[in-house]
Amino acid sequence: MGVLDETRVALGGIGDLFSGLVSPGVRLGVTGLSRAGKTVFITALVHNLLSGGRLPLFNAYAQGRIVRAYLEPQLHDELPRFAYEEHVQSLHGDNRRWPESTRRLSELRLTIEYAARGVIARNTHGGSLHIDIVDYPGEWLLDLPLMTMTFEDWSHRTVSQSRIAPRAALAGEWHEHLASLDPNAPASELAAQEAARLFTAYLARCRTDAVSMSSLPPGRFLMPGDLDGSPLLTFAPLDVTPHASAPRGSLHAMMRRRYDSYVAHVVKPFFYGHFARLDRQIVLADVLTALNAGPSAVADLSAALTAVLACFRQGENTWASSLLGRKIDRILFAATKADLLHHTSHDRLEAILRLIVEGAVNRAEYSGAAVDVAAIAAIRATREATVKQGGETLPCIVGVPQAGETIGDETFDGRTEAAIFPGDLPEDPARALDGSLAGAIRFVRFRPPLIEAKPPLVQSPSFPHIRLDRTIEFLFGDKFR
Amino acid sequence: MSDEPRRPKALRIGPAPGAAPVSPAAPPDEPKAKPEPRPAAAKSRRPRAMAAPEIVMEPDEPEASLVPAEPTISAGSLSTTMRWGSLLVSTGFSLMVLWFTLSVSQFIEALFARSAALGWVGAALAALFGLAVAAIIGREIYGLIRLNALGSIQEDAARAITANDGKAAAEAVQHLKRLYRGRGDLSAGLAALDRHAADIMDPADRIRLAERDVVGKLDEAANRIITRAARRVTLTTALLPTPALDILFVAGQNLRMLNELATLYGGRPGTLGTFRLARMVVGHLAVTGGIALTDSLTQHVLGRGLLGRLSARFGEGAVNGIMTARIGLAALDVCRPLPWLSHQKPGLTDVLQRIVDFSPAEAADGKQG
Repeated sequence: MGVLDETRVALGGIGDLFSGLVSPGVRLGVTGLSRAGKTVFITALVHNLLSGGRLPLFNAYAQGRIVRAYLEPQLHDELPRFAYEEHVQSLHGDNRRWPESTRRLSELRLTIEYAARGVIARNTHGGSLHIDIVDYPGEWLLDLPLMTMTFEDWSHRTVSQSRIAPRAALAGEWHEHLASLDPNAPASELAAQEAARLFTAYLARCRTDAVSMSSLPPGRFLMPGDLDGSPLLTFAPLDVTPHASAPRGSLHAMMRRRYDSYVAHVVKPFFYGHFARLDRQIVLADVLTALNAGPSAVADLSAALTAVLACFRQGENTWASSLLGRKIDRILFAATKADLLHHTSHDRLEAILRLIVEGAVNRAEYSGAAVDVAAIAAIRATREATVKQGGETLPCIVGVPQAGETIGDETFDGRTEAAIFPGDLPEDPARALDGSLAGAIRFVRFRPPLIEAKPPLVQSPSFPHIRLDRTIEFLFGDKFR
Repeated sequence: MSDEPRRPKALRIGPAPGAAPVSPAAPPDEPKAKPEPRPAAAKSRRPRAMAAPEIVMEPDEPEASLVPAEPTISAGSLSTTMRWGSLLVSTGFSLMVLWFTLSVSQFIEALFARSAALGWVGAALAALFGLAVAAIIGREIYGLIRLNALGSIQEDAARAITANDGKAAAEAVQHLKRLYRGRGDLSAGLAALDRHAADIMDPADRIRLAERDVVGKLDEAANRIITRAARRVTLTTALLPTPALDILFVAGQNLRMLNELATLYGGRPGTLGTFRLARMVVGHLAVTGGIALTDSLTQHVLGRGLLGRLSARFGEGAVNGIMTARIGLAALDVCRPLPWLSHQKPGLTDVLQRIVDFSPAEAADGKQG
């Protein structure tokens, strides 16, 4: 980070310090790649707190010290509000479904009033805590590592990555075009557009379920948001070495300029606007989908998460850090969708996640932040059952698989309830990465659970979950002491 | 891997609840087996069998500190050297009992010889005496069993936390429920435990929940018991005229405190139980005392010096009070069925502050310290 950026963070931090005295707040960074379950997590978190969900492990809540929780207008007026009501609506009823993938930034402010214990807290803000949460397309997160990379570094890395299986098979068209480009040739707008189009198509192919790659920057190519069709997105990696120099007026020089302005005008504002001053962080990782796709997807998820998480400021907060910019002092690594597994396998799922984010965990622990790893399901779509068959007992999960999901030669129509045995996760997490699990596990997506609708004046129960309460306690529990 | 891994598979159950039934063909209570061929010799209890080494590896140190040190004292070389002594005691005791029963029966016979009515009265008294003895023995045994139950909950909880053992956690919670059944002050907490029994939770979290909702509710009362005993010992030592008396008094107060603490946490010890508890506490102090001594040494010296300067008797009282508080804290560890997870364990300083809070002049002092 440059000096200018550091200063910006520090100035914002001083502002936070003063506003925090009057109305304390926590910025929660919900970090996760696309389809990791950020939107569902935020929705479930808010819904459980607003409508009295079962959260026995959230101490302040279980002990009745939370007076009430409500939504307030978001912090930044230029951002749309997180469409909480819409998401809740879509999760209810006969036609219930998971929220669509997020296409743009949105923000939410949740305020929790609680019975404060301390004298100072009682007399200044009277025991209320704002929780600010930002929701965004997970693809954009992949851009963060670009801030520290030059165009040549990025080109070199992207191109060499794309020449390894399983990506190589999907990159044929783009590689052909890439071979026809000479970086030193005069700049050509048409060539740049064509390269960007083919490169985007390659990225899109890489993230289909069968391959399920994660590390696919730049994120705006896959999820352009409001930049759709903008000239900022007409660049693509070239086949250059990391230290190549670009002659003036060449294609290389043009691509580099566009890459630099992409980083300056898209990535940095996104990061410094929303991620530079976080207090708490939850890293959601969809390990099960990666496991479905195979070891290369798991390895790619690991690489992507490690690179992204290296961009955050983590560590213990001291008096100095409240002046120089706050750090993230609690990080929870969560393997989402734990409801696709029987709870007896959750420990193994945690072990695999721990292996996947090992680098990031070590870095966070070394910096002094508190770190935890958990298998969670923000909304639990299944129940558990034991099936006895052929003399053996299988720990199963029961739910309604989504239409089109397959297991073995069985394809589901989205209406039938089924007991699924997804296979045994390996006891040794390293086996998730060495390819010996091929065909041994298969996780099926389920439809959201049916929440019974109550008469209008009775509050309907909140979503069932797995370890959401433990997550909340870890992330915010200390704020209510 | 030598054994065949279990393949993923699906069993249709029936139309989803709430969805319009498409085909009412498959009755929901009869799951149709998937036609996928199963490997015939799938030995599949793999997770259970292989879990053992994992459990053995982790819990060496924390478990030792959580489980009271009692076994190290009662087991071992003591028993071999004490064999003759115990033979002496047990035979002597048996002879005493024989002599006692013989003389009572002779006495009753003598009463019958004198007059039948007197004989019946004597026999009735003897029978009541026997009943009382039996009841007391029964109560003592019951007390010891309850004390053991506390210990086994502690062990289960320690295993649940250190080895991440879900079964041990469930067992600890189950025993805890049985221990506290019928106690009005804890019924709300027990009901909460029941409500969350089916939730998916980590073993340590389950213990934490039980601690917060049930056991933690008793901590305040336990603190009060310790404070009261320590305060009483401090004051009485300072006021009692003869030094010989205060040894007896301090011992009596300490035993009473142990008894109260154990009763509070569900132990219900009788006389034997209290003595056994005392032995466990002393053993626990022997293990942890060294550490506790160093971290509160300043407090110890300070308190003693301050009061000692006021009066020599008060200084002695302070020492006795601090000792009582320390014994109480050790007893807290021994009696409390669950470890300190979500609650802060009171330290010697906390107890001493509360003792000092007693007199208003010292209260301000204590709060600043």
